[in-house]
Amino acid sequence: MKGISLMKLSCAEAAELCTKAEYKETSLREKIRLKLHLYFCRTCKDYHKNNKKLSGLLKKADLKTCSSQEKEHLKNKIKSEHSQISQQQKKQ
Amino acid sequence: MEENSLHPDKWVDRYADYLFNYTITRVNDREVANDIISETFLAGLKSMKNYKGEASERTWLISILKRKIIDHYRKNNSAKGQAEVKMNFPDSDNEGDWLEEKVADLTDMTAEDQMENRELGLAILECMDQLNEKQAAIFKMKTIDGVDTEAICNEFNISPSNLWVIIHRARTSLAKCLEKNWF
Repeated sequence: MKGISLMKLSCAEAAELCTKAEYKETSLREKIRLKLHLYFCRTCKDYHKNNKKLSGLLKKADLKTCSSQEKEHLKNKIKSEHSQISQQQKKQ
Repeated sequence: MEENSLHPDKWVDRYADYLFNYTITRVNDREVANDIISETFLAGLKSMKNYKGEASERTWLISILKRKIIDHYRKNNSAKGQAEVKMNFPDSDNEGDWLEEKVADLTDMTAEDQMENRELGLAILECMDQLNEKQAAIFKMKTIDGVDTEAICNEFNISPSNLWVIIHRARTSLAKCLEKNWF
């Protein structure tokens, strides 16, 4: 019976596991289930390929974000400056 | 899209990452990039009344940012006196005449590659705008900053399976958008 439960995986579930696999956070059981599903399902296999491509692109783009600290700092700066400017405009 | 107007209180959340990527590929220094961005935002605030609403908020901010980056280059150059051009001539005294040293390294990134990557990054960020804010925030944390699943779940108060659904949806719409705009 256990073998059967390993095989039961809908395409929607498989697609989610694909995403999880891109971040290398699938458990062994999930890995086996996904592999089995991809073996049978052409559509999901293509999807898996595209997903991998997307990961590659994301890696290649080498995006960087401002840290939340820097953002907080920027926000405060804008806030104070904004209120200053609007006060000046009121005076005028 | 509705009529263009400015919302300075949302600038940081909406555009900080985009502007940051735009800047860092051009100045190569986190601190300088941050300074330039904050200057850009402040300059934007000061000239808000000149905004006519013809361009989108982002385009408008980018046009300010471009000027700030040029200013930065100018300042750097005048500090040094003039632009410096460095060239490496093969020095036969110090090095052997190995062929490897004279032939260009093909694995090196060419200028074209770099430019393409630069544009790719901006295209991805633009596509991310189409996600809703929570999706985008979670996706960025997971993919770009590489934060642990558990930490993100705690911060947004969601379950891990919930998180994977969100990321999965984000990736799917991102892939669609990139297919349209990039390939």
